[in-house]
Amino acid sequence: MKELRIGVVSFEHMHAQSYTQELVKYPEVTLVGIADENEKRGKEMAATFKTNYYQGYESLLEQQLDGVVICTNNRDHAKVSIAAAKKGIHILVEKPFATTIADAHAMLEAAREANVQIMNAFPMRFNPNVIAAKKKIDAGLIGEVLTITSINHGKIPGGWFIDPALSGGGAVMDHTVHLGDLIRWFTGSEIKSVFCESGELLHHKGIDDTGLVMIELNNGVSATIDCSWAHHTNYPIWAQVDMQIIGTKGVIELKAFAQVLHLDDQANQRFEDIGWNETGDEGLIKEFVQVCATAKTPLVTGLDGLRALEIALASYESSRTNEAVSLS
Amino acid sequence: MLRIALLGCGTMGSTHAHAYTSLGEAKVVAVCDIRLEKAEALASLLGCVAYTSYEAMKEKADYEVLDVCLPTYLHCRYATDAMQDGKHVFCEKPIALNLEDADLMVETAKEYGVTFSVGHVLRFFPQYQAAVAQIKAGRIGTPALLRTTRNQAFPGWSWENWYQDSTKSGGPEVDLAIHDYDWLLYNFGSVKRVYAKNLGTGHPKQMHTLAILRFASGAMAHVEASWALPKGIEFRTTFELVGTDGQLCYDSSRDCPLKTQLGSDEEASLFYDNPLSDEMNPYRAELKAFLHAVEHKTEPVVTAAEAIAALQVALAAKESAHSGKVVHL
Repeated sequence: MKELRIGVVSFEHMHAQSYTQELVKYPEVTLVGIADENEKRGKEMAATFKTNYYQGYESLLEQQLDGVVICTNNRDHAKVSIAAAKKGIHILVEKPFATTIADAHAMLEAAREANVQIMNAFPMRFNPNVIAAKKKIDAGLIGEVLTITSINHGKIPGGWFIDPALSGGGAVMDHTVHLGDLIRWFTGSEIKSVFCESGELLHHKGIDDTGLVMIELNNGVSATIDCSWAHHTNYPIWAQVDMQIIGTKGVIELKAFAQVLHLDDQANQRFEDIGWNETGDEGLIKEFVQVCATAKTPLVTGLDGLRALEIALASYESSRTNEAVSLS
Repeated sequence: MLRIALLGCGTMGSTHAHAYTSLGEAKVVAVCDIRLEKAEALASLLGCVAYTSYEAMKEKADYEVLDVCLPTYLHCRYATDAMQDGKHVFCEKPIALNLEDADLMVETAKEYGVTFSVGHVLRFFPQYQAAVAQIKAGRIGTPALLRTTRNQAFPGWSWENWYQDSTKSGGPEVDLAIHDYDWLLYNFGSVKRVYAKNLGTGHPKQMHTLAILRFASGAMAHVEASWALPKGIEFRTTFELVGTDGQLCYDSSRDCPLKTQLGSDEEASLFYDNPLSDEMNPYRAELKAFLHAVEHKTEPVVTAAEAIAALQVALAAKESAHSGKVVHL
């Protein structure tokens, strides 16, 4: 088995933890190092994963890597991805793909020029329940898909997530992309128009936290996304991804994170839902390891990342203009 | 004691009739349906006279209140006729299919000095009332993100299949979602914008509406109403109300106290029940409130203006789905 040399750039996004945990499970993977501008965090993580610490991502990218996982803030995805592509390194970049369309195009172009694969981290594509739903739809079980409603609620994150300069936006940027991607995947259709109502209604942190998005697809299907950071602190689980897919022959109700135990935690005076199935991070990293080994086209690509980003950015535009925004 | 005539003995007429059986304030003296067997069934339940013609009932029966449980496109004609005859009118929702008819009903009621109200019964459902009580007590802070669903299979049982003809029923945008529109307007204030989609006309037995509302308060709502679920699926309603300090949720299929599973070698079926005493029956409560308003000459809980406001939102959703544009109210 060929050794795969993989690095992780930044633990700014907490998903780096689960991604790295998955990476080190593969015997062929050598975790070459962790780069993080935040020295304390970077050194801690490097110690946890028994690997080298680099302060600057450039030094890590010099280490003859086969692949890199990028979990910086959203704004820096472009800078690090383009640098990695130029070094001939396959890329897994956290969602959203970028914060501007121009950045996203530059990332795709850099990967194409360097002939490396760039994969956007959409772990929901690898969630076992989402995959099962996709298989049922593809098998024609519910007939032709007519309409979809979807909810991705979560708790409001802190730090750079709520700094628009680094995140590119709040709940709409953070959550629209997951479901926008799944809606495209389930229907096999591209987006025609986007309407969105959004605002800062819940948490008073200076960034949009509430959003309802209506999408019209080229095939005539309409779909809604509720992308709000609607869960309050005590909500028993962080993330909720629910979809209802109505077809001509039936309906699928998908609750991607329904496989939980209900814990009454008396010491901490709260109820907690404890997930016990794979989340999707497992399959995502498995796919990226295969991409690094074979240079195959990933199941979810950078172009998918761009398409989802277009929905999020069109949502913001629609919120400003109070009109539907055409994407076709 | 008020004397009532019930016009229309279909699903809603039958629901009202059962509610009247435990209402001491009123006596149903006549029921009418062009289908004799429907009229006779309710007449025997209520111990009153069955008619198959409205004109015959109007001529022979002695009543002060007409309860209109006809298909929506017939509401205006019979409600205004009864009002001109000096009868108080309780009319099933939606008030009408268009604003002209609705306005005419309101004006006629005013002109003839009769009490008029519309069956926006959701306000009387105990789970919806409990949610409002929690919100009023400040339990979720300022309401911000509201979601309602009202989903079922296509209502294939209707007389002459009038539900399927959206020129007679208005489709789920008007017939079904209007329950939630009224409840949302009543409890969360006026709506300033509506954007909506439906399934179009390609699937005659599957109708569905999705609407996003923005309230004057800044709150937003996602309203879904469906006649697109597979045949045999239980009617399901949900709400999820998120505010600055908390969240309230209800799901009729999850929060169901009594599920009955029946099966044979061939098939299995599952029934959801939500047993309520007479006092908690929302249909009885809405009729009781209306009769109280008639007797005491007070404004009914559901005013005609509110019924029109709900219709305006429903029509805006219809228009938005048709034009692809945002409709400003």
